[in-house]
Amino acid sequence: MLHELPLVIFTIAAQMSAGSFIVLGLIHLLGAKVPQETMDRVTDPALYAVGPLLVLGMAASTLHLGSPLRAANSLLHLGGSWLSAEIFAGSAFAGLGAVFAFLQWKKLGPHVLRQVLAVLTAAVGAFLVFAISQVYSLRTVPAWATYFTPVRFFITALLLGGLAVGAALVIAAQRREAKGVETPEAAALVGRSVRGIALGGLFGLGAKYIGQPAYIGYLGTHPEQAARESLDLLVNTYGVYSAAQNILTFAGIAALFFMLYRMADGNAGKRLMPTAAIVAFVLVLAGEVIGRMLFYASMVRIGV
Amino acid sequence: MAKQLAFYFDQTKCTGCKACVIACKDKHDLPVGVRWRRVAEYSGGLWLVDERTGTMTQDVFSYYTSYSCNHCDDPICVEACPSTAMRKGENGIVKVEPEICIGCKYCAMACPYSAPQFNEAKGVMTKCDFCSDRLAAGQTPACVAACPSRALDFGEVAELRAKYGAMASIEPLPAASVTKPNLVISPHHRAQVSGTGTGRIGNPKEI
Amino acid sequence: MSDQRTVLERVGEVPLSRRRFVQWSAAAGGAAGLMGLGGVGLQQASAADPAPSAEKIVWSACTVNCGSRCPLRLVVKDGQIVRVDPDDTGDDAVGTQQIRACVRGRSIRQRIYSAERLKKPLKRTGKRGEGKWAEIGWDEAYTIIADKLKDTIAKYGNESVFIQYGTGVIGATVARSWPPGGSAIARLMNCLGGFLDQYNDYSCGQIEAAVDFHYGAWQGSNSNDDLVNSRLVVMFGNNPHETRMSGGGEVFVTQTVKRTAGHKVIVIDPRLSDTAMNLADEWVPIRPGTDAALVAGMAHVMIKENLVDQAFLDTYCSGFDEAHLPAGAPPNSSYKSYVLGLGPDGVEKTPQWAAKITGIPAATITRLAREIATTKPCSVNQGWSIQRHSNGENQARAPMLLANMIGQVGISGGGNGERESSAALPMVSFPVLKNPVQPVLPFYAWTDAIVAGKGMDYRKGIRNAANLNSNANVKHDVVLGADIKFIWNYGSNATVNQHGDINKTLEILSDESKCEMIVVIDNQMTVSARWADLVLPDATTAEQVDVIAQGSAGNLGYTILADKAIEPLFDSVPVYEQLTNIAERLGVKEQFTEGRTQEEWVRWLLDESRKAIPDLPTFDQLRTQGIFKKKLDSYISMKKFRDDPVTNKLGTPSGKIEIWSSNLYLMSQDWPMDVEGNAIDPLPIYRQTREMPGDPLQAKYPLQCIGHHYKQRTHSSYGNSPWLKEAHPQHVWINTLDAQARGIAQGDAIMVFNDRGKLVLPAYVTPRIMPGVVSVPQGAWYKPDTPGGVDRAGAVNVLTSQKLTSYAKGNGQHSNLVQVQKA
Ligand SMILES: Nc1nc2c(c(=O)[nH]1)N[C@H]1C(S)=C(S)[C@@H](COP(=O)(O)OP(=O)(O)OC[C@H]3O[C@@H](n4cnc5c(=O)[nH]c(N)nc54)[C@H](O)[C@@H]3O)O[C@H]1N2
Ligand SMILES: Nc1nc2c(c(=O)[nH]1)N[C@H]1C(S)=C(S)[C@@H](COP(=O)(O)OP(=O)(O)OC[C@H]3O[C@@H](n4cnc5c(=O)[nH]c(N)nc54)[C@H](O)[C@@H]3O)O[C@H]1N2
Ligand code: SF4
Ligand code: SF4
Ligand code: SF4
Ligand code: SF4
Ligand code: SF4
Ligand SMILES: [Mo]
Repeated sequence: MLHELPLVIFTIAAQMSAGSFIVLGLIHLLGAKVPQETMDRVTDPALYAVGPLLVLGMAASTLHLGSPLRAANSLLHLGGSWLSAEIFAGSAFAGLGAVFAFLQWKKLGPHVLRQVLAVLTAAVGAFLVFAISQVYSLRTVPAWATYFTPVRFFITALLLGGLAVGAALVIAAQRREAKGVETPEAAALVGRSVRGIALGGLFGLGAKYIGQPAYIGYLGTHPEQAARESLDLLVNTYGVYSAAQNILTFAGIAALFFMLYRMADGNAGKRLMPTAAIVAFVLVLAGEVIGRMLFYASMVRIGV
Repeated sequence: MAKQLAFYFDQTKCTGCKACVIACKDKHDLPVGVRWRRVAEYSGGLWLVDERTGTMTQDVFSYYTSYSCNHCDDPICVEACPSTAMRKGENGIVKVEPEICIGCKYCAMACPYSAPQFNEAKGVMTKCDFCSDRLAAGQTPACVAACPSRALDFGEVAELRAKYGAMASIEPLPAASVTKPNLVISPHHRAQVSGTGTGRIGNPKEI
Repeated sequence: MSDQRTVLERVGEVPLSRRRFVQWSAAAGGAAGLMGLGGVGLQQASAADPAPSAEKIVWSACTVNCGSRCPLRLVVKDGQIVRVDPDDTGDDAVGTQQIRACVRGRSIRQRIYSAERLKKPLKRTGKRGEGKWAEIGWDEAYTIIADKLKDTIAKYGNESVFIQYGTGVIGATVARSWPPGGSAIARLMNCLGGFLDQYNDYSCGQIEAAVDFHYGAWQGSNSNDDLVNSRLVVMFGNNPHETRMSGGGEVFVTQTVKRTAGHKVIVIDPRLSDTAMNLADEWVPIRPGTDAALVAGMAHVMIKENLVDQAFLDTYCSGFDEAHLPAGAPPNSSYKSYVLGLGPDGVEKTPQWAAKITGIPAATITRLAREIATTKPCSVNQGWSIQRHSNGENQARAPMLLANMIGQVGISGGGNGERESSAALPMVSFPVLKNPVQPVLPFYAWTDAIVAGKGMDYRKGIRNAANLNSNANVKHDVVLGADIKFIWNYGSNATVNQHGDINKTLEILSDESKCEMIVVIDNQMTVSARWADLVLPDATTAEQVDVIAQGSAGNLGYTILADKAIEPLFDSVPVYEQLTNIAERLGVKEQFTEGRTQEEWVRWLLDESRKAIPDLPTFDQLRTQGIFKKKLDSYISMKKFRDDPVTNKLGTPSGKIEIWSSNLYLMSQDWPMDVEGNAIDPLPIYRQTREMPGDPLQAKYPLQCIGHHYKQRTHSSYGNSPWLKEAHPQHVWINTLDAQARGIAQGDAIMVFNDRGKLVLPAYVTPRIMPGVVSVPQGAWYKPDTPGGVDRAGAVNVLTSQKLTSYAKGNGQHSNLVQVQKA
C-alpha cells in the first residue's frame, strides 16, 4: 500500500492547500460585509499555513524523482505534458500565494489589488487541482481516465482545504480567547465560517459516498480487463483499506454532525468545538490519505 | 534512412526462450530489473476431469509475445514526459535523452508496453533505442540477430506491413489504436485479439 | 562469501590484466562482493581506465551439455569480455544454417565472471560438506592428489578409483569431460593402470540398455531434417524447443522443415511444452510413465481394424504375433496376445483400458491410432524423458514398437521410434589409451558402489569392458573387486546435485571412511564442490584453446576452433595443465603428454581429423575463420537393414527387431529384482512400477512429480546467472485445479515433499501441465536452510530416488510421488 508515497503526500498537500485558499477566498467573498480588520484577524493565520503545506508537498514530490537535481527540466514540456502543466501550476500557485501572503501580512498595497491577487491565486489553485487530475487521466489507465478523477480531486481539495481552514480558524480563535483579545464579531465570523465548512464538508463526504458505487459500476462494466483488475485490487486485495476508508468517511460525517449539533447548542458547544473541528479534520485527512494510497495501488495499466 | 522503423515478430515461431532479452541485456549492459525487451506468456483454457473414466480433456492454449518499445506513432510516453527527454527522432525511433530526464517515471506509468525501464543506479529512464549504434554500423539490432527461431525482424514499417499485414493487437498487448505501435505480428494459431480477455499472463513477474 | 573477500585482498598479487578485472568488478559490484557483476549488470570499465583500446572478436563456444553446440564470438576489450555476438556465417536454410546461441550462451559472461567463480585450489579443513576451506598452492594440491592416488591404488586397486559422470565440458575435445572414460582424466588414469569406468548415462540410461535388446544396438532415429519428407510427426515427450535450443540446432531444424513440409505434429507430453505450444498441431497430455499403455491401447485399435503393417512385421520383426515367436518362447507371449488379453494377465488392452492409465480419453486414443496408422510417411520419435522413469526400459521400447507396427523403420520420412539423430563430422577425439579394468559400473549405481561395491556382479548391472552391449551382458562372471574410494569429479555436478536422492547421497558422502577422496575440478563453487575434499579451479573454455565438436543440428556438420579469448582468471589453470603436473609427480608425464602442449594436441587432432574430412581447414585457417560448416547427408536410421535384412542382420540374437526379446526373457528367469514392482519383461508392455499412477503411496503422495530440463540452465550449469534467474525463474509447475484444491495462487510459496525430502518454491499455476502432475525443473543449485533440511533453491533431486530400474540399473528420476501444500 505504500505505492508512490511521495506522490500521495504531494497530491494531498497540493490539493489541500489549493482547497484552503479557495475556501478562504469564499469566506472573504461571503463575508464581504464583515469589517476588513476582523476578517483579516480571523483568516490570516490560516492563510500562513497554506504556503508551507504546499512547499512540503512539492518537496515530497521530488523524492520520487530519479534525478531530483534536474527537477527544473520538468517544465520543458509545457503545453504538451500535463505533468509540466501541473508543476508549472504548482509553482505559480506557490509563488502567487507567497506574494499574496506577504502583501497581506505586511498589509502592503491597496486592498483591491490584494483581492485581485487572491482571486488569481485561487484560480491558479483550482487549475492546479485540475492539472493534477489530468496528469492521472492517462488513457492507458481505465481506473484513472475518467471524470471521477477530477471530481474526486476537487472534492478532496475542498473537503480537506475546508476542514483544515475550519480547524485553523477555531484554533486561532481559541488562542485569541485565551489571550482575551477575541471580539464578538470575530467569534461570530468563526462560528459562521465553521458552520458553513461543516455543511460543505457533509455535502462533500455525501458526494464521495454516493460516488463510490458509481465508480465501482464504471470499473465493473469497463471493456478493458485492466479496469476489472483495478476493481479486484480495490475490493479484494486492498479491501481492508477500502473498508477503513469508508469507516473513516462515516466517522467524518458523524464528527461533522456532532459539531453542527453542538454549535447549535450555543456556549456549551463552543468549548468542544476546537476538538470536534480537529477530530473531523484528522478523520477526513486519514480517510483521504488512505483513499489516495488506494488510488495509486489500484493503478492497472492496460496492456503488458 | 528509414521514415519509420518497426519490429516484425513472428509469433508462430517464438519459443519464449528469451535469447532476445538476454542479447539486449548483454549488448547494453543492463542490470537485473531493467528489461528493454520482454517476453509475455499468455495462456488460457479449461480442464475437465472425468472421474468415471479417469481421463481428462482440455482446450488449453498458450503463446509467447516478445516486445520491446514500438517507437509508436502516437507515443503516450512522449506526450506524458514533462522534461521532453522522451522524444521521437531519427528513423522514427523514440529515445530518452539521459541528460534531460528527471527520472519521474511518468512515461513508464503511461506506456502500455512497459517499454520505459527505470535504471535505479543511473536515476534515469532507459529504453530500447533500436540499437541505433548497431544500425549505424550496418548491423541488425542485437535482439533480432539473436533470435534462434528467426522470429524477429525489423524494417521500414510500410514495407513490413505490405509483406506481413498490419496486425499488432494481440493479447496481452493493448489494442494498437492506443499508441499506434510500429509493430507487425504474424499471430500464433491460437492467438487472441486484444481485449478478448480469454486467458491471462502466465509470467507477470517476468515482464 | 569469505573466498570472495580474500581475493579482493590479494589484488596486488594478480598480474596486470587480472588486476584491472578486479578493479573493474569491484567498482561494479561494490560491497556486493568482487564478482557481484550480475547484480548490477555488467558495467564496462570505469571512467578511470586509460584511453579505450580497440575491441577484438575471438571465436569461442558454449561447451555445456544441452545437445546443441553454439559458437560464440566473444568481444574482448582490455582483456575483458565485454559482449557476446552470435555466429555471423551461414543462412536460414537447413544444412547451411547460422548457429545462433541460445539464451544461456548469450549469458556466458555471467558464468565466466560469476560470483561463484573458483579462484584458488581449496583444501577442506572442516568435516566434509561443512564449507570450511583453506586456500592452498597448486604445488600442494598436485602433491596431495598424486600421493592419495598412489596410496588408494596400492591399497584398494585401480577399481576403487572412479571418474564421476560429468558433462559440463562435453563440447570440448582436449578438455572434454564426457564420457568420463574419454576424458583427459581417463588418459591420466590409464597411464596408472586404469580406473573404474561406467556405462550408459543419466540422459538415456534405460533406452541405452533396452534398445540393444530391441534393435541389437543404439541406432538413433532419422535426423530431423528428414522430417521434411514426413506427413505426420509423433513426438513422445520430445521437446526440442526447450532441450535443443540452439538457433542452429533442432529448434531451428524442426521449425524450418515443418514450414517447408506442412506436416502435422502431435506432441505427447504431460506439459504443454514450448514444443507442444509452437511446433505441435495437437497436444496430447499423458500421465508420466504411461506411454507404453498408450501404445498398447493404440495397438488394440490397429490390430482390430487391420491397420498394422503386417508385411513389415513378418519380414523384419520377431515376436509381434504368435506365428513369429522364436523357438523356446512360452505360448501366448507375443505382443498381439498381450494386447488381445491372451497373455498371462488376461487383460485386453482396449483404448478404455489405456484411457484409465494414461488419462487420455479412449476416443482420442482410437482417433490417434487410426491417424498414425494411415498417414505415411510418419515419424514416431521420443525424447529421453519417457525412459527416465522407474519403468523406463519398457517406456523406451514402446514408441519403437509403434514405429514397427506402422512399418516406418528405415525409410525417409519415417523413423524407428528412438530419438532423432543428427549427421556429424567424424572428428577425431582425444586419445585416452587403454583402460585395463574389466568390471564396468552402471552409471547410476555409484552411490551403491561406495557403500558396497566389492562383490557386485552382473545381476547388479556390472558389465564386462570387453563388450558393453546389453546382449553381451545377460550373464557373465565379471565381479567388482573394490568399493569406490576415490572420485574424480571433473565438469560434473553429479556427485550431489544431479544424482538422485540428495539427502541419501549426502549421508553416504558424510562417512569419510567410505569414499576417502573427492577431487572436484570445476570453475564454479558448485553443490558438488561443497562436498569435495579438494577443489581445483579450472579455466573456462574462453580461457584456453580447444577444438569444439558439433551439437545436434540436423544434417549440418560443423567444427569450431575455440580460441583463448582472455587469460585464465585468478589462479585457475586449464585441466590439461593440471593433469600434466599431476602426471609429472606420478612419473608418467611423458606418457600422458606425448610431449604435446594443449595447443599442440589441438593441432594434432585437426590434422588427424583432416584425414577423414579433407576440406577441414588447418589449425591456423580455422583459428581465423572460427567455424567450419559442411552440409551432410540426412541420417536415415536402419536403412541398410530395411533394404536387405538378410545381409544386414541386427545385433539381436535373431538378427531381427525383437519385439519379444529372447535375452530379456532369459534375464527374467535369472536376475533377482530388489525393487518392489520391478520385473524384466521380454515385451515392451506397460508395467506399473515404483511411484506410477495407481501406486497405493498416492494416498499419501497423490501427485506425480517430474523435473523437466529447463531453459534457465543446462542441468545446473548457468544456474547461477542472475540474468537467467530473472528471465526463467525456478518455480513449480502446478495445474490450476490442483492449485485451487490447495488454496494456492500464482506466486505463492509452496512446499513439495515426500519421504525423501522437501523443497520450497514459488508456484507457477498454469493450465500448461495436466492435473495430477507437477514439475520442478531439474538442475537448481541445492541450498537447504539447515543441513538435510528444506531445500530453498528447488533442487528436484531432494525428491528423487536412487532405486535402480529393473535391468538398465538406471535412473527413474522422473518417477516421484509427492504432496504439495502452501509453505
Ligand atoms: N532429477 C533429475 N536429475 C537429473 C536429470 C533429470 O532429468 N532429472 N537429468 C540428468 C541428466 S540427463 C544429466 S546429463 C545430468 C547432468 O549432470 P552433470 O553432468 O553434472 O551436469 P551439470 O549439472 O551441468 O554439471 C556440469 C558441471 O560442469 C561444470 N563446468 C562447466 N564448464 C566447465 C569447465 O569449463 N570446466 C570445468 N572443470 N567444469 C565446468 C559446471 O560448473 C557444472 O558444475 O543430470 C542428470 N540429473
Ligand atoms: N535447456 C536445457 N536443455 C537441455 C538440458 C537442460 O538441462 N536444459 N539437458 C540436456 C540433456 S543432457 C538431455 S539428456 C536432454 C534431455 O531431454 P529429455 O529427456 O527429452 O528432456 P525432459 O525435459 O526430461 O523431458 C522432455 C519432455 O518430456 C515430458 N515428459 C516427462 N515424462 C514424460 C512421460 O512419461 N511421457 C511423456 N510422453 N512425456 C514426458 C516432459 O514434460 C518434457 O516436456 O536435454 C538436453 N537439453
Ligand atoms: S529469441 Fe526469438 S524465439 Fe526466443 S523469445 Fe525472443 S523472439 Fe521468441
Ligand atoms: S512503446 Fe511505449 S515507450 Fe515506446 S514509443 Fe510506444 S508508448 Fe512510447
Ligand atoms: S522518467 Fe524521464 S523520460 Fe520518463 S517521463 Fe520522466 S522525464 Fe520523461
Ligand atoms: S533493438 Fe536493441 S535495444 Fe531494442 S530491444 Fe532489441 S536489442 Fe534491445
Ligand atoms: S546451452 Fe546449448 S544451445 Fe545454449 S548456447 Fe550453449 S550450446 Fe548453444
Ligand atoms: Mo543428459
